[in-house]
Amino acid sequence: MARFHPLEVTEVRHDTRDSVILTLRPQDAQAFAFTQGQYLTFRREFDGEELRRSYSICSGLDDGCLRVGIRRVDGGAFSTWANETLEPGAVLEAMPPTGSFHVPLDPSAARHYLGFAGGSGITPIMSIIRTVLAREPKARFTLVYANRQISTIMFREELEDLKNLHLGRLSVLHVLEQEAQEIDLFTGRIDADKMAGLFRHWVDPASVDQAFICGPEPMMLTIAQGLRDHGLTDDRIKFELFASGQPGRAKRPAPSKVADGAEATEATVTLDGATRTFRMPKSGVTLLDAALAQDIDAPYACKAGVCSTCRAKVLEGEVEMAVNHALEDYEVRLGYVLTCQCTPLSDRVVVSYDQ
Amino acid sequence: MTETMNIDDYLAQGGVLTSPANVPPRYRGELMRLMASFVDSELAASAGFADTINDAPGITSRIAACRITLEKADHAERVLRIMGEFGADTARYAVHHPWAARVARDTDLGTRRHGSDMRLSVFHYPFAGWVDAVAMNVLMGLATGLQMTELTRVSYAPLAEVFRAIAPREARHLELGLRGLTEIVKTDTGRTEAQTALAYWQPRVAASFGTTASARFETQKRFGLRHRPNEALRADWEAAVADRLGPLGLG
Repeated sequence: MARFHPLEVTEVRHDTRDSVILTLRPQDAQAFAFTQGQYLTFRREFDGEELRRSYSICSGLDDGCLRVGIRRVDGGAFSTWANETLEPGAVLEAMPPTGSFHVPLDPSAARHYLGFAGGSGITPIMSIIRTVLAREPKARFTLVYANRQISTIMFREELEDLKNLHLGRLSVLHVLEQEAQEIDLFTGRIDADKMAGLFRHWVDPASVDQAFICGPEPMMLTIAQGLRDHGLTDDRIKFELFASGQPGRAKRPAPSKVADGAEATEATVTLDGATRTFRMPKSGVTLLDAALAQDIDAPYACKAGVCSTCRAKVLEGEVEMAVNHALEDYEVRLGYVLTCQCTPLSDRVVVSYDQ
Repeated sequence: MTETMNIDDYLAQGGVLTSPANVPPRYRGELMRLMASFVDSELAASAGFADTINDAPGITSRIAACRITLEKADHAERVLRIMGEFGADTARYAVHHPWAARVARDTDLGTRRHGSDMRLSVFHYPFAGWVDAVAMNVLMGLATGLQMTELTRVSYAPLAEVFRAIAPREARHLELGLRGLTEIVKTDTGRTEAQTALAYWQPRVAASFGTTASARFETQKRFGLRHRPNEALRADWEAAVADRLGPLGLG
C-alpha cells in the first residue's frame, strides 16, 4: 500500500509567471532516493477534501537535492496553491518516487538521446538531461521543446547553463506556438511536417538511440507517429503523458433520502454509459454478483477485496464493504467501493463504474 | 502546448497512458482485468509445471521444467507489481487463491472462467504426466506467442514494457517445449502418447482465445488494450500449430 511521508519545502523559486520549482527535504531521505524521470504524488486537503496530484522531479541524480516543477493550471486547486501561497518551511506529504520514464544508465555508452517536451512536460526530461550528461560522459542529448511563447518556457536559463557546462553535448530546439522565429520549422505546433523537417535538417533519425516524449495527448500522438515513421521502434520510445485533465475534485456521494426498512434494494448501475436498475437482496449477494447476474459486464478479478479491479463509485445510498485491502481511506471517503465486497444498506443505491 | 484532447479520442488514435493518475475509471477496470487474467494464468501455469519437475525424464528436461516454473512466477510478479501501483494488495493477491487447484481431467469448461480466479480456462486442467505437460506447453507456448503480439502493444506503457521484457522468455519456454517434443517423438510409444496429449489439449488451448465476436474485445480495442480480434489470433495459432508440429510428423 502506498505510504505518505513528510517533506519540508526549503525553497520556492518562481521560474516563470505561472510555474514554481520547489526544493524539498524529505525526513526519510532513503525513501526518496529516485531515478531520473520519476514523479512524486502529493496529497493535501482543500476545503475538507483530499486532493492528490503528481508532479515530476526535475533534479538530476547528482544534484544533491530533490526538486519538482509545478505549473499553475487554470482552476487547479493544488497547482494554484503551490504557485501563489506555498512558502519555504511548509511541510508537504508525498509518496516515494515512482514511474518508469527512464532507461538504465550506461557510463561507457555514447548514446544520442532525443527528448520532446511540451510545456511543463519538460520537468522529468530536465531530470533525465541533468543525469545523463553527468553520468554518461559520452552521451549527447537533443531536446525539442515546445511552448506557447518565450515567457512560458520553464528552465530556460538552466538549459542555457547546461549547454555551456556540457559544450556540444546538449542541443535545444525551441518550438514556439505563438511567436515567429527566424526558422519557420520552429514556429507553430509540432505536426507531421515539422517532424519530417526536423529529421531532414536537424536530427539524423538513425543516430538516435532512445527517445523520450512528455507532454499533452495530441503532442504525444504526433511525435510518436513521427518517430515511428522515421524508423524508431516502440521499445526505443519512452512516454510520459502529462494529461490535460487530471481529474477535478470528486463529489462526495449524496445521502439517500429513502427510508431503509425493506429487505431488498433497488440498485442502479452504470457501466460504459449504460444504466440499468434492478432489485437485489440486502444480504447474501454482493453488488458485483448482482450486477453480473443482470448480464452487466462489470470488471472484476479476485473477488476477495485485494485487487480493486471492481472499483466503482457510490453516487447515492449506502453500502457496506466486508473486506477492503485495496482502497485507501481517502478513496472510501469519496464514495469508492469494491463492488465484490459490497452489500447495500439503503433501500436504493446508485453506483457507477464510469466515474 | 496546452491543446487538450478527449482521452477516449487519444486512446482510439493509438495514444498511450503512463501512470495511474492519467487512467480513466473504465479503462482502469479493463486494464486491471487484463493484468489479473495474465497474473492468475502465469501463477496457475507455474503451479502446474512445478508438479512436472519430478516427472522429467532427464536432467535437461528437469532444468527446463524448473525454469518454466520459476520464470512464469517471475512474470506474474512483474505484472502484479503494476497492479500494486493501482492499489492492489500484492502480498495478499499472490496467495488469495490455491494456484495448483485443478478440475477433473474430463471436465469441459469451454471458454468460461471457472472458480474465483481469472486464469484462462486451459489452466484449470491437470497434466497427465510428462508427455502431456510438454504437449500442452508447446500448444500454449504458440498461443502465448500470439497473445504477446497484442500484449506488447497495450496502451498502458509501463505494462507494455513489462510484456516486451517477458515476451522473449516466454518464447524460450516454447523452444524448450519443442525440444522436449522432438525427443519424445523419437520412439513409437512417445509419438502415440504425444498424439493423444495434443488431441486433448488442442481444443482447450483453442478455447483460451475466447469467443468469436466478443463484446469485451470491442471495449478493450476502444481503449487500445487489444488490437486484433480473438478469431484472428486463433486462426494464426492454428496455422502456427500446423507449421511447427508438421515437421515432427504430428500435424
